[in-house]
Amino acid sequence: MTRPIGRRAAEAETDPRAVNGCAPDVFSRDGTVPMREFPESEEVDFVIVGAGCGGSVLAAKLAEAGMSVVLFDAGPFFRPLSDFASDEYEQEKLYWLDPRVSDGDDPIELGANNSGQAVGGSTVHFQMVSLRFRPEWFKSRTKLGYARDWPVDWQEMWKYYAEVENALKISGPIRYPWGPKRGRYPYRAHEVNEAGLVLARGAEALGVDWAPTPLCTVSAPRGKSPPCAYRGMCKIGCSVNAKQSMLITYVPRAIRAGAEVRDLAMVGRVETGQDGRATGVSYHRGGEWRHQKARNVVLAGYSIETPRLMLNSATSRHPQGLGNSNGMVGRNLMVHSNHAVWGEFEDEIRWYKGPPSMATCEHWNYVDDDPTKDFDGGYSFMSQGPLPGDFAGTLTGATGMFGDELLTAMGKYNRMAGLKIVGETMPAPDNRVTLADESDPLGLPRARVTYAFSDNDKRLQRHSLDFMSKMLGAAGGRNLLETSSTAHLMGGCAMGDDPETSVTDDMGRSWDIDNLWICDGSLMPTAGGVNPAMTILANAARIADRIVAARNG
Amino acid sequence: MTQGRISELLVRETGRPVGGKGMSLIVATAGLGFLAAGLAARRPSGGPHTPSATSPRKREALRLSRDGAAIMGSSVLLDSGMEHLRGDYRRDAMYAAPLAGAASMAASMAEPRTGSPGKLIEGVHVGAVATGMAGMGFHLGNVLRRPGGLSWDNLFYAAPLGAPGALIMSGLIGMATHRMARSSGQERRHGRQLAALSAGAMLAETAEVALLHYRGAYHDPAMYLPVTLPPMAAAGLLLEAARPRRRRRGPLRLLLRGVEALGYIGTAFHALGVARNSGGWRNWRQTTMAGPPMPAPISFAGLGKSGRAALDLLDIADDRLGEDSK
Ligand SMILES: Cc1cc2nc3c(=O)[nH]c(=O)nc-3n(C[C@H](O)[C@H](O)[C@H](O)COP(=O)(O)OP(=O)(O)OC[C@H]3O[C@@H](n4cnc5c(N)ncnc54)[C@H](O)[C@@H]3O)c2cc1C
Ligand code: SF4
Repeated sequence: MTRPIGRRAAEAETDPRAVNGCAPDVFSRDGTVPMREFPESEEVDFVIVGAGCGGSVLAAKLAEAGMSVVLFDAGPFFRPLSDFASDEYEQEKLYWLDPRVSDGDDPIELGANNSGQAVGGSTVHFQMVSLRFRPEWFKSRTKLGYARDWPVDWQEMWKYYAEVENALKISGPIRYPWGPKRGRYPYRAHEVNEAGLVLARGAEALGVDWAPTPLCTVSAPRGKSPPCAYRGMCKIGCSVNAKQSMLITYVPRAIRAGAEVRDLAMVGRVETGQDGRATGVSYHRGGEWRHQKARNVVLAGYSIETPRLMLNSATSRHPQGLGNSNGMVGRNLMVHSNHAVWGEFEDEIRWYKGPPSMATCEHWNYVDDDPTKDFDGGYSFMSQGPLPGDFAGTLTGATGMFGDELLTAMGKYNRMAGLKIVGETMPAPDNRVTLADESDPLGLPRARVTYAFSDNDKRLQRHSLDFMSKMLGAAGGRNLLETSSTAHLMGGCAMGDDPETSVTDDMGRSWDIDNLWICDGSLMPTAGGVNPAMTILANAARIADRIVAARNG
Repeated sequence: MTQGRISELLVRETGRPVGGKGMSLIVATAGLGFLAAGLAARRPSGGPHTPSATSPRKREALRLSRDGAAIMGSSVLLDSGMEHLRGDYRRDAMYAAPLAGAASMAASMAEPRTGSPGKLIEGVHVGAVATGMAGMGFHLGNVLRRPGGLSWDNLFYAAPLGAPGALIMSGLIGMATHRMARSSGQERRHGRQLAALSAGAMLAETAEVALLHYRGAYHDPAMYLPVTLPPMAAAGLLLEAARPRRRRRGPLRLLLRGVEALGYIGTAFHALGVARNSGGWRNWRQTTMAGPPMPAPISFAGLGKSGRAALDLLDIADDRLGEDSK
């Protein structure tokens, strides 16, 4: 891995930085903030594995409620101002690139497009699209006749969406065209860039609604965060600190409230006692295996690492892995279809300017009776702004072009625009995470991910490509190119009302082990046709309140 | 995208995509030229074109109002100069706003005249109003052309509808003041007219600030100041315009001084706002454009002054009434 230039403090990628009672001050170039530390022999109230969406929110809220919390992350604790470069290859340090085995009929690409490894989790490099589920999706089996129901009421989730949107000062439009009324977004929407206006013009030509995308980056100053500078480096980490990632919001909040963060700390096993209950975790940090005792263990490592950890923590008492007596751990893993249409335009667009997805269309998430809709579920799509390396990869992947041909195609980069879906896929038990035969350098079995699209998924993909081609054409695009890929991960440890078909109850508590919890994207029973972060965050905020209420009650 | 001829010329000559320096130079030179002209014409000439009839007190009051109009003109000069630079002076017509602002500033600074110099001054004010109207038309066209039409997002981010209004107001106040200076007496009528005009301008300005501070999500509580103080002052001025009452004027003057101070404080706040953008003042080339507009708040200082001038005129009228009834 290449080294960033001019690093003064501890090397984020090799030396833990949250040590000796201090954590990095993420708003400084090399400063620190005080941080409480807990002895490993002390049984803390909660150990949380993974400092992404689920883990950070839970850590902050539990610590604020007075509980002792240690938050582990396998990744580094970055200071964006000094550690992030405007360089696509350097910034690969944000992704979970440790190999996994990917197979099945439609093996999914793993890494940059779906998992991060850093304090802050995937939100450090996510594209900040901040959408809510359509209310009916929380009961898609009952209300829409497909997939499965969530054990949660949409109105409760609506309340928590508002809570996390406010905590992250989401910048969104004053009027959102789809779904039930939502309160006003805390910050105003950003100015839509040219790439977004292409979507807007296309939507107006086809007579469907569009909206400026609600984004998780501020459109006005907030505390030490300057407003977005529209340089468009979002997907490789925001060095401006405008992006309200977990790293600069909930993680500092957790530390202020007395939680301890352990960076570069890979949890390898959840330990269980004679009675089968969790007693703590074994983790690798600073070159050695260590152990932290805990009254409760929460897994928040996302849809691959959470099931991997549960499966890998098998004991004679839990022969199939923890919480897996019904064999559901790792099953019903979902991705989002991420198919796209790209086109060339007469005018200069410079789509790299600003956050990549500034305009969105959720039309196909909200219509049920359109005669052309030949699939269950829905999809949204957004305008695009891939960085050059990313887009060159897309071109090569889709067409095989290389050399001069690629150079010529990239010459059109500034006059291109694209539309890309976030398409719902159906949960299927055989799409799953298991343990591979090979091990990683720490001796832990690697994850094996098996995946295949259903016929419904393929119909949705075809429909979206046709619709987006029509729209891009209506906006003036020529020489259209279709590409296919996947993004995001959902499910793997679904929550539910039925202990036979789910891994946890409605508050993320394992049906088998009452002090083992899950709080991340793997809880999602369905994928929905929108980017998942807001739903994971809202669910985590809800689970935190439930845990606090249970303790007080 | 329409390219103006000047812009094309500059790009050709400088060989750079945007001839920002050349554009700023044109505007700055013209601005300074007008400033000099205004200063030169500021001395009461005592020559043949001096309106003879005005009393010294009335002249003083009107000078305050002219200073106000000049400040507004300078605000237009700097604000549109910067914002249009941000838009690369893509159309030649974009030079009109800063130039009209500068001319209006100079005309307001000049001592009122009769005869042809007077006509010239009034012509400049009429020109400013006309440019402001045309600008508003252009800006409205810009809003309507964009997807979404008359939507919040376009009101926030397309060409601002309110900005050319400042030019209209600066022209109107300058014009009105000049007219008033040419006749003696009539302080009561003039005072009421100026009060109404200043109040209207203040309300319009407040509306624009409200829109833009809403865009900024009122992220700092101080952002509420310019949407509360000026409407209060405007209400007071409207009352005075309807039914002048001397006892009201003390507190109202204080309020108007507050509005004026807001103009200066606002500039400082906006400077701090610029500092809060990525890179702060070290990165001024970008942040002064991206941050809150530094020259905008000062127009409140101008309006505070012209409001006070209206009250001064009403005082003069009341004093005269007192003397007459003695
Ligand atoms: C490129 C990209 C763009 C995206 N854009 C958007 C978007 O625009 N909008 C949106 O809503 N969503 C987006 N997402 C998805 C979103 O970021 C994720 O869905 C979300 O962050 C998942 O939250 P999580 O808490 O489940 O896991 P994560 O946020 O991924 O956090 C998991 C953390 O756990 C740590 N971890 C895992 N295993 C272990 C272990 N054994 N020991 C210690 N630590 C461990 C990892 O290092 C990681 O930091 C994007 C994702 C990617 C990859
Ligand atoms: S465009 Fe905005 S959010 Fe994206 S990296 Fe730049 S400052 Fe950060």
